[in-house]
Amino acid sequence: MRTRAAVSAALASAGILIAGWQSGLHVADTGSSVASAAAGSTGSSGSSGTSGSAGASGSSGSSSPSSAGGTTGASAKAVGTYAGSVVQTRFGSVQVQITVQAGKITDVTALQLTDAERKSVQISNRAAPLLRTEVLAAQSADVQTISGATVTSDAYLNSLQAALDAANL
Amino acid sequence: MQPTSELGGPALRARTFGSMGTVISLTVPAGAVPGAAGGEAKLDAATAAVERVFAGLDETFSLYRPDSEASRLARGELCLRDSSAGMRDRYADALTWQLRTEGAFSPERPDGVLDLSGLIKGYAIGQAGEALRSRGIADWCLNAGGDVLVTGSPVPGSGASWAAGVVDPLDRSALLAAYELGGPGTRCALATSGSAERGDHIWTAGLGARTAGSSGAEFVQVSVAAANIVTADVLATAIVAGGTAMLHRATDGWEIDVLAVRRGGELLATPGFRA
Repeated sequence: MRTRAAVSAALASAGILIAGWQSGLHVADTGSSVASAAAGSTGSSGSSGTSGSAGASGSSGSSSPSSAGGTTGASAKAVGTYAGSVVQTRFGSVQVQITVQAGKITDVTALQLTDAERKSVQISNRAAPLLRTEVLAAQSADVQTISGATVTSDAYLNSLQAALDAANL
Repeated sequence: MQPTSELGGPALRARTFGSMGTVISLTVPAGAVPGAAGGEAKLDAATAAVERVFAGLDETFSLYRPDSEASRLARGELCLRDSSAGMRDRYADALTWQLRTEGAFSPERPDGVLDLSGLIKGYAIGQAGEALRSRGIADWCLNAGGDVLVTGSPVPGSGASWAAGVVDPLDRSALLAAYELGGPGTRCALATSGSAERGDHIWTAGLGARTAGSSGAEFVQVSVAAANIVTADVLATAIVAGGTAMLHRATDGWEIDVLAVRRGGELLATPGFRA
């Protein structure tokens, strides 16, 4: 019985290693550099040969409380640091790296942020608070047209646009 | 007011006419219409073409005309299925925008009446622009009650942008900001919506009969610059109705610049409006 458990655990371990290796390959396929190979840290789950759960499938890892150390996460294959592929956005190229522990993303870092046109690193066009002195200033004599909330025909007569139009009639 | 040419600006010629409850101005460089009578006649003909576009759409979509198709729909005398192709197409446009803005833009008034006027003026400006292009006019600025579409330059051949001013909602005789429209940039349309003006068909999303003008709206005025006038117009309306959340959705999802004025007069702006 003990032998059978050991064999079962070994098979489970091999399954995890293969899964980890495949996920490593997958990351490699994206053309990115992987900081730490996933397979390297999976040994812990397979080494707990005393596990009573002989029926454990390869994907769930060890349920033994006396794990041999290292990560005890359920999906041992998802441990490590992965760099995503370089994505083209309308602001330029962006690449991020995630750190996974125990099957969860614990950190996201930007390996590359756009610096399109050598301007500041800006990946959004969000509206931000601005002082009136910080907008492009204008006098009515400097502009050729005026945008404003819809004016009625009556209100138009006293509007800046009417003054511009009158000057050009 | 002095002619702008004496102030050192480009020499321009303008024509105006009334439609859709407001005034439409067509401005072209004076160089495009040489002093001879032929040039003036060309400008008059172009203005007439623009006027026909507005008049035709107003006839169908105005809720102020009791005999319009829109009014007959509103009274229930006509159902949408039996309405004209133009009506159904614009209704489809409006529903698409309602989805895109997650309901901030709506083609229906709180009382359930179909009201496409939030869309139709921008559509009319765009169609009028097509009419001008088809006449081979390369430089023009079309302003319909404060919504602007330009092509080319105020100084033909120079590549210079049209300079548009944005009205200060707290002092309508002053300008709040300027924006470079057209020229080398791709944004040639600028629309402004307000929550204080009569005639702006805006209601705060999801708040029933409460209109944005009476209370509640975060922004008293929102200006949006975009590549086309319908996008600029609809998004400006949607941001007034939908507040800061819609503002961020708009700047995240569209290639636009936005200048929004809060009730207290504070500004929110994308980098394009920064000096």
